[in-house]
Parts: sequence; structure tokens; C-alpha cells
Amino acid sequence: MAFLALQLLIKRAFLAVPILLCVSALVFLILRLLPADPIAMSVPPGATQADYDMLRISFGLDRSLPEQYLIWLGKLLHGDFGGSIFFRRPVMELISKALPATLELVSFGFMLGVVIGIAGGLGMFMLRGRWGEQVLDGSTTVMMAIPEFLWAILLILFLGVLVPVFPFIGRLAPDLTLPPAATGFLLVDAALSLRFDLLMSVLAHMALPALALAIGIAPLLMRVLRSSLLETIHEDYVTQARLRGTSETRIVIRHAFPNAALPTLSLIGVQGGFMFGGTVLVEMIFAYPGLGNLMIDAVRNHDLPVIQAVALIYCILVLGINAVVDVIYLAVNPRLRLKGRAA
Amino acid sequence: MTDFNRRQMMTLGAGAAALAGLGVPLDVLAQASAKGQLTIGFPADLPTWDPNARTLAAVQSLYKLVFDQPLAQNEDASPKPSLVTKYAFTDPKTLELDLRTDVLFHDGSAMTSEDFKYSFFERQQQPVPQGGRKLDTSFIWRKVTAIETPTPSKAIMKFSEPMPSAVAWLYFLASFVVPKAHLEKVGVEEFTKKPIGTGPYQFVEYQQGARLVLVANEKYWGGAPKIKNVTIEFIRDPTARVAAFESKRVDVAIDVPIREAQRLGTQTGVTASIYPITDIVLLQISKNGGFADDKARLAAHHAIDKAAISKALFGGFAPTISVPAALGSPGYPTGYEFKFDTAKATALLKELGFGPDKPLKIKLASTNGVFPNDFDTARAIVQMWKRVGIEAELEAIETSVYQERLRAGTLPEATLFSWGNAAADPEFYGGYLLDPKSIFSAFKSDELAPKIQPLLIETDEAKRLSGYKEFHQFAAERGFTIPLFQTVKTVVHTNQVVIAKHVNGHILPQTYSFKS
Repeated sequence: MAFLALQLLIKRAFLAVPILLCVSALVFLILRLLPADPIAMSVPPGATQADYDMLRISFGLDRSLPEQYLIWLGKLLHGDFGGSIFFRRPVMELISKALPATLELVSFGFMLGVVIGIAGGLGMFMLRGRWGEQVLDGSTTVMMAIPEFLWAILLILFLGVLVPVFPFIGRLAPDLTLPPAATGFLLVDAALSLRFDLLMSVLAHMALPALALAIGIAPLLMRVLRSSLLETIHEDYVTQARLRGTSETRIVIRHAFPNAALPTLSLIGVQGGFMFGGTVLVEMIFAYPGLGNLMIDAVRNHDLPVIQAVALIYCILVLGINAVVDVIYLAVNPRLRLKGRAA
Repeated sequence: MTDFNRRQMMTLGAGAAALAGLGVPLDVLAQASAKGQLTIGFPADLPTWDPNARTLAAVQSLYKLVFDQPLAQNEDASPKPSLVTKYAFTDPKTLELDLRTDVLFHDGSAMTSEDFKYSFFERQQQPVPQGGRKLDTSFIWRKVTAIETPTPSKAIMKFSEPMPSAVAWLYFLASFVVPKAHLEKVGVEEFTKKPIGTGPYQFVEYQQGARLVLVANEKYWGGAPKIKNVTIEFIRDPTARVAAFESKRVDVAIDVPIREAQRLGTQTGVTASIYPITDIVLLQISKNGGFADDKARLAAHHAIDKAAISKALFGGFAPTISVPAALGSPGYPTGYEFKFDTAKATALLKELGFGPDKPLKIKLASTNGVFPNDFDTARAIVQMWKRVGIEAELEAIETSVYQERLRAGTLPEATLFSWGNAAADPEFYGGYLLDPKSIFSAFKSDELAPKIQPLLIETDEAKRLSGYKEFHQFAAERGFTIPLFQTVKTVVHTNQVVIAKHVNGHILPQTYSFKS
């Protein structure tokens, strides 16, 4: 199994190279074809046309598009994303500060979404034919109909203002300070520094944005899982189990669910990728200092180096999630393992 | 069927509630500010902690907390002494400045004329490091050829050519004094991690995109601020800022939508301060297409009922303006009014052969969401123009697209634009917006150049200001610009906080206090 997983990951890594090249070239090209001027956005008062031209040269924007792309790619291979036009700081520095926040938030939101999705899917199935199923079904429609950013606002209004249960600004309570040996992952930092207050504050601050993100993926998972369960429940092995007198709950959990989970697992991979896109607005609304917030600034100011870098990071993260899901799929699907061994 | 009964559902529900409760003890949720602590919901974050690097108007207030400028402004935007106590042009190219002798940086070192020289001359002359960028102050202070420092409290600025706006620049964008010795010792990178200045607050903690924590500088030369602890929460979304205020997580919320400010202002214990500032909203005009003729542009100006827009979209708080300057600012011609007159607009268009039946077709571009009610303002203008016979095709654009078109000279006939000028100096209004040589001007006319160029080097202040008043009026009467109204600032705060309204739009907690 471990060998097959490693083989799969290596294969995915090789495939990722052309994908990343294509994405980087596409993002690079589209940004430069837009009729927008990044230099003009940051030209200070007192600058002349000559200054403006000089700035264009200093950012390499006077060169041909292929030249610009190759220079950027060359630097990228040395781990240099270039300098931000807006922030006047290395892009890598900006990303290294924002990425852990987003990863932490997405991981929490992802787990929350999967838990709600699976629990809801099982609930819908087990309550089939009853009013409870109708309620859950209706709730999935509502969840899907409302976009994430609107959920974010609704959650703030209901759970932040009306019933002030959760904080909704930033990552940490204002009276708490960051631990000195910071990895950027506040949960990790809090755990390493044995700061329980910090840990709780970080979790509380993540609750609403993570829930807003989770609502984006949970309803689909619920519906797909219920459909899969409805198909699986008529399989012969389920009938056999019933004849053996196994309880309905045990049948669902032990026999039907593992088999019905595979399509849901595929969907989790896809939805996990989408979740990163959702962070852009959700982070802005919750003043959460992650990649999404950084992207908003970059787009507003047409900060090409930052937009390119963040887009590429998003792409790498999505590819990473897909690879992990593939490995999990391999682990839970014996047919794939057999096929792999045969190959 | 299933044995998943109500009891199990209840158990699951209780478990979920317990899990949710586990992560959120009440003390963790208590974000509301403690006594003696002021928390402000602010709409923008700093790009960098190097105060000389960027001229970003939205965050100048934040720099002013930690750093000082040579001159400061009163609440009415007029200049007042700060680090500089006295200034005078001894000749058109020499500005002499007397500095305070009792100013300390946050590390305890004394601020001297050497720090001034470093901040306004030496830093700009330094070679740009590989991959680095020139400081914005390099462009602003490009005419400075030397700064002499005969004593620690005297600095003499020498210019390559007259720079009458130098005094205004001493309290405008990015003109902050930084500690020479400290910066040279630690380097820019370390400095921006823990900046020190001479300002009223000392830097405690900064989380990019999230929060800035400050503590009062008890040794501040102007007296320690009354509010000892200030936290700035960077909350970009206006709805979230309102929610943060309503849930008492911030004591002050900046730039909330006017309607929300009015609503919150009716609540007990809340004050909504809504006031006009020196930033303006105008239509940047180009000669392109249908606006080649003066009459068409003037008709377009006469057709706009600015007061109605102000009332409908800004609660009547946005004063209408007839020239591109804030009312009462030094460059505003007293008593001058460009009248809303649809009859005149119709007559002017008729002279050109246009009317409601045969409309003049033009394009109007506007940002959407960059400043409050921008696109709604543009839509209202389209409707007003329609009545007199101007059919405007409205296009939503990004600011970067506006900049690209401005640079390329391809702006449409009119573009709705917001222009910031916290200094309120006339050069930063008409001087930048209408000088054909300026990279910010949209209307490039040979008629404007001979009128504006002498003003840019006029060192007789009275002559300079009266010249700008005439120039602004001339530009409006020829339809080279269509000024609309001043921008409105909204500050919603609890009644426990006493705020000072600065018409330059700055938010300065050092001038705030708590009610005793």
C-alpha cells in the first residue's frame, strides 16, 4: 500500500509540473493583457513621465511578454517571487506571513465541512421518509443557494452581533500577543508554547469563517452521500446482513457507508480545491489576515507579482489536496490497490 | 427502516452543542475594549512600516501615530508647528527651518536636524538595493539639492528651483522624520519589523492585515496622549465594521456607510460624526469624442444637480463644489458658484445641434465600490444628462484601468474620480489635476499650461493662492473639469469617546479622549 501511494504521489508530482507551467503562463498572460497599469497605480505625486518610464523598466515591464515570463520563471525556480509593486516588499515575505493563516483556516473549514457533510448525509439517509429528511434536504438547498460571502455576513450578524457567541475579527483576541517562536500556524504556536488561552482564542476566531467555508462544501457532500447510500442499501451484502439480524444503524455504519463513501471522497477532493477560492471574500469579511486578504489588496492595486504568486500557490494547494485525496481513495478502495499491483 | 430515534437525535444535538461550546469560553469571546483601551475599526492596512516609502493617503493617519511630520495640521487643515517650530523662505530656493530641541525618538535618542536631513535628502540619494524600489519621497523631494544643518535645531533646505509647495509637503504624504542612527544600525528590514519614531504612540505589535497595537509615548514632546492604549483592527468590509461596532468589539468605526452611520447615531450611547473632508469627487474630463467643444462640457456641468445627488446618496452631508478644491480651502474662489441650470445646458447643446431628440452621445466611466456610492453617483449623472440631451454610456472600470487610460490618453469624455488632498493646498488640487504636464491630469490643454506653470514656482504665498483661485475658476468656466462634491467622513463611536474631527480626514486617536 505504502509503495503504491508513493508511486501515485510521484506520478502526481510529475504531472503537476506541466500543469503549474500552464497555469503560471496563463495567469501571467491574462494579467498582462488586461488594460490596466500596475505602475500608474503606485506612481507618487511629483513623478514625471521619465520617472514613470524608469519604474516600468525597473519592473521589467518594458520587455516583451515572453522575456518577462522567462525572467519571472527563472527567479521563481530560485524561490524568488519578485518584489511587490504595492507593498514594496518581497512577495515571498508577504506570502510566508499570509499562507499559514489560510492553511489553518481552510483545514479547519474543510474538517468542519466534511463532518457536517457526512453527519448530514447519514442523517438524511437514516431519516428517509420522515419529516427530518425534508428539513435536512431543505437546509441543503438553503446552504447551496446562499453564497459563502453572504453566509459570512449572516453568521457575523447572527452569531457575532445578535447572539454574540463568537468573535469575528482577525485571528486572535486583542489582549493576547503572539508567541515568540512563531511558525505562523497559531494553533501550532499555541500548542508549542503551551498557551491554552491562545489556543482557545484562535479556535474561537476561526469558528465563523471556517463555518462560512464549510457551508460551501457540506450540502453537496450530504446529498451525494445520501444518494450513494440509497444505492448501496439495496446491495446483496446489505440484505445478507439484514437476514443475519444486524441492526439498521450497524448496517449503515459498518457496511453501507464504507462502500458509499467513495463518490463522496472524490467530491471532497474537488470541493477542497474550491474552498481556497472561497477564502478570498471570507477572509476579507472576517478581517482574517490570510492569502485571500492579500489577494484582494493585490487585485485592487493590480500588483502583478503578488497576484501571480498567490494564484500559483492556490494551484499548488489544489494539486496537493487532489494528490492527498487520491492516496486516501487508494487506501479505502481495495479494487484500486489490486489494479495497481496488477499494473 | 431505521432505529435512529428522537433520543439519539437529541444526544447528537447535545454533543454538537457541547463541542461548539468547548472552543468558545466567554473570556475568549470578550473582545470589547477594556477601560483605558481604545479599539478602532479601520478600513485599510499599511503596505509597509517605512513611512517614507509610500504615499498612500488612506493610511497616513496610521503613520502619524508612530511618526511625526515637520509640520502638522489643525482640525481645519491649516498648518501648525510640529517638529518644526518656525519656517521661512529666505529666497525662492532656500527654506529655513527651526526644529524643536526637546524631541525624543522612542528609543530615547534625541531628534536633531541630522535626522531631518536623513529623512528628506540622504535617504533619497541612497542607491536603490537590488530588487528594491525608490522611496516615494525621492520623487516628492526631487528638487532638494542639499540640506544644511548648521546646528542640531536648524535645517536649511536648498532647492534646484522654487518649490512653494514644500511647506505643504512638510505635512503631507510620506513626509515623516525617521531616526537616522537607528535605521542605519538595524537596516530597513529590521526597522519595519519594529519601527520607532517620535510620534505620540509607541509600536507594540503589528499583525499584517489584522491588527496594530500601540501604547502612549509618555515622553511625547507634545504631552502624552490621553488615551494610553490604542488597538487598530483592520476591517476592510464596511458591514463587518458596523457589526464589530454593534457587538462592542470596537469603540470607534471609521468609514461606515452613511445610512448605517445615521442609523447607529440614533442608538443610545452612540454618536455618529458625519462631516465633509478636503478630498473631492469630480468628473475627469477629456477632449476625446463628444467633449471636444467647450459648450458640450459646460452643458454637461450645468445639467448636474449636485445638491440632489448629495442629498440622495450622502444624506446631504457632501458639500457641492464648483471648482476642483474643497470649500473654504486656500484655492477656492470665495462666493463663486457654477450653477445647476438645465435651461442653460439645453441651450448650449442646442447651439451644437443636440437635444433630447438628437442626443450627444458620450461615454462615462466610473469605478464601482472604490469610494462610497461611486457607481450610483455615475448613474444619477447619466439620468440628469439624459434630460437635457446627453446620452452617456456608463462603463464600470477598475482604478488600474483608469490609470492605464489616463496614461495612454484614452480616457472617455468623462470619468468619475475621487481625489485626495489632506493638505488642502491648491497645488495638490488644480496644480496636479489640470497641469497638462502632470501625470494626473486628464485634460491636456495648451490654454492651461501658461496659467498654471507660473503658479508652480510662485513663492509669494498671497499671489500664489489668489492665482490658484483664478485658475480654478477659469478651468471650471471653460469646462476643463466638472467638480462635484467633497468626500464625507463617517466616524461612529461610543459616547465614552470624545473625538476630534479633522477636515483633512485623518483619524488621530492622540487627539481623542475618554469622557470622565
